[in-house]
Amino acid sequence: MDQEELKNLSVDKVVDARGTACPGPLLAAKKAVGEIDPGQIMEVLSADEATNRDIPKWAQKKGHEYLGTIEDSGYFRIFMKKGQ
Amino acid sequence: MENKKMTIGLFSGSVDRLTAAGVLISGAAADDMDIDIFVLLQGARAFLKGMGDTPEKLGMSENSEMKEEFLESLKKLNVMPWMEFFRAAKELANVKIYVCGLAGKVWGGEKVEDFDEIVDGIVGIGECITSMEESDIHLFI
Repeated sequence: MDQEELKNLSVDKVVDARGTACPGPLLAAKKAVGEIDPGQIMEVLSADEATNRDIPKWAQKKGHEYLGTIEDSGYFRIFMKKGQ
Repeated sequence: MENKKMTIGLFSGSVDRLTAAGVLISGAAADDMDIDIFVLLQGARAFLKGMGDTPEKLGMSENSEMKEEFLESLKKLNVMPWMEFFRAAKELANVKIYVCGLAGKVWGGEKVEDFDEIVDGIVGIGECITSMEESDIHLFI
């Protein structure tokens, strides 16, 4: 997805993990993905560079769809769709 | 698909290594791995009831003279205390924590009740070796 499409996405759950360092955001994402249904969209906010690499890889490995990342001022907005 | 399995021989009872172990366990739990942790010798002291939430009572394996700065830096980065990683991993995945019988006795812990409630049992080394044989990843920390 391009940046414009990501900005216009209707998100079902936002996980704000900006206050934590690795592996905090990954743990928060793992917990939160259990609370949404397959096909729903989750946005993870993280100020951690390592998480910006980790979450896309983790999402793909676990059968979710990584949609893209928006780099905002000082943090990342990472979008994924929950798999079946 | 069957979950992958990680087995850890956790010998260290020092706060820096326990924190590193906690980070690794968290990553494996987020990956849905089954995790068996066998707490050996020095590690058992850190799992005695009441010790998990008092990192100041534990040593540091490296740069021991900088323990205070290390703990302060972790706090500033909002990194959870080492025991919280273990607790969080147990919530997310099938994580079992066993204390080696000998290790427990060394520190005066004879029964499972003598240890933090996240400890699942006291076992012998045979169980540890069997778990390692069956695991995809094994680590000694």
